[in-house]
Amino acid sequence: MSISRLIPVVLIVALVLYCAVWRHLHHEREVFLQENYMDYTLPSRFTGPAAMEFKGIVSDFLFLKVIIFLGEKIGKNEKFGEQDFNYLQTSINTITDLDPYFWDAYLFADMLFTWDMGECEAANKLLLKARQYRTNDYRVPYYLGFNYFFFLKDNINGAKYIMEAAKLPGSPFYLASLATRLSFYALEHRTGIIFLKEMIRDTENEGIKQNFMLRIKALEIMDQLEQKVSEYQKIHQKQPSSLTELVTAGLIDKVPDDPYGGQFILLKNGRVYTTSKMVKQK
Amino acid sequence: MNRRIWSLAVITFKEGIRDRTLYGIGLFALMIMGLSLVVTGFFLRELHKVTVDINISAITFGGLLMIFSLSVNLMSKDLDKRTIYSVLSKPFSRTQYLIGKFFGLVLLSLAAVCMLTLISTLTIWAVKSQYPIYFKEFVWLAVFQAVFAEFLMFIVLNAVVIFFSTVTTSSFLTLLFTISTYIVGQTVEEVVQFIQRQAPEIQLTTAVQTVIKITQYVVPNLSVYDLKVRAAHGLSISCSYLLSITCYSLIYSAVILLFASIVFSRRELT
Repeated sequence: MSISRLIPVVLIVALVLYCAVWRHLHHEREVFLQENYMDYTLPSRFTGPAAMEFKGIVSDFLFLKVIIFLGEKIGKNEKFGEQDFNYLQTSINTITDLDPYFWDAYLFADMLFTWDMGECEAANKLLLKARQYRTNDYRVPYYLGFNYFFFLKDNINGAKYIMEAAKLPGSPFYLASLATRLSFYALEHRTGIIFLKEMIRDTENEGIKQNFMLRIKALEIMDQLEQKVSEYQKIHQKQPSSLTELVTAGLIDKVPDDPYGGQFILLKNGRVYTTSKMVKQK
Repeated sequence: MNRRIWSLAVITFKEGIRDRTLYGIGLFALMIMGLSLVVTGFFLRELHKVTVDINISAITFGGLLMIFSLSVNLMSKDLDKRTIYSVLSKPFSRTQYLIGKFFGLVLLSLAAVCMLTLISTLTIWAVKSQYPIYFKEFVWLAVFQAVFAEFLMFIVLNAVVIFFSTVTTSSFLTLLFTISTYIVGQTVEEVVQFIQRQAPEIQLTTAVQTVIKITQYVVPNLSVYDLKVRAAHGLSISCSYLLSITCYSLIYSAVILLFASIVFSRRELT
């Protein structure tokens, strides 16, 4: 048999062998990667200069690696451990050093840190970094505010950041109401009033303006009542047990009506609150 | 422009266009751009960023490959094949020869950048039409500004190629020095910043500090042309910045060409 006739036969055998070897290698490689997955990212001190002018595309590649690795864990409902946290933190730090505007990376890390890893402080630290670069993006302070309010139960900071978010272009109108509500929960009436007045100045919509005015009215009443409580404390060297004592002492004519339809009450710590929680009562 | 210089630039350009390496590089860049159509879908929201990153990186990579292979070869070919004698036997000065070659290489880079930009514009447009929701922050102007900045870098690198081909006798050495200049040029700013930030922790000798200072002025700071990250996020660049990098590019190239001309006019062609 001539060599030219043998070539197709040899080629077919070689292709079959190649397929077999490829499948075997594929299986071996999967086992190898599971055992030795490179769940680390080099710090930006090295990655930055090494990426040269391709920092953007390198950050994309690293982020893709992170979402594939951690996304697989999410898909399998696996619990995140300390090693995962360290990996995510280092990777996102490197990625956002390479591209400090990369919102997807910040948001992905924020979601995992807060909801899955219970590392709210780390999430906020990262969002503060995003705030330095994405100065016009309302989502950054919004998520910061949300983390403070929801996870850290810190209404003062929650209100502060959501107020900041509401002032940025493109923010949904309800953020303003949300911010005042948060500051109201935090009993920071003054901050809420100032914030709402600023928002009215920038708002064109009459309906929203009316809404803000009503809220300002309620907050101003509460602020005035708190001032009268302080006055009462100075005169009588004690705190009044209820707001009606202010009427008895002649400091106010009557306990004002809540524009939302609720009743103003005096809390033990001397702050004034309303039963309506600034929601219109039916 | 001097007619002789222009005709030499056109010849260099035509010679480059005929080279098959150019098609290989173009095909490679096209593949990377095509990749963006597939890869973009893996990301969460900032698809515009990923698309722009991949496309401008492809343009840059294509342009760099062209300079490292084609520009270096076009310069050294004349010396290796002794065709330079026939050129210099005409009423050409050596400086005119270098300037003509430089403009030819710049024209070649310009043509390549235009071609790759056209294709990447189509790719970005295709992805944009596929995911219009995720392209709200996208700005065309920022993309074109970044491409323009890359072209300015190519001008500098072409001048660097000319300079090293007059200094060295082999195309390999020219290639090696050009790549080294590119790497140092891309990293010098970061190294200096790193040293400044870590100054109290790192004890550097005066000699090292002097070397870094000199390097800063001698080697072109190529990171000034990297506007890719900003373009990817739709952040445009001020006209004053663009003007300043344009002037930097032109003046640096002019200075380095002058040095090349001095070296080349004293070189013995054997």
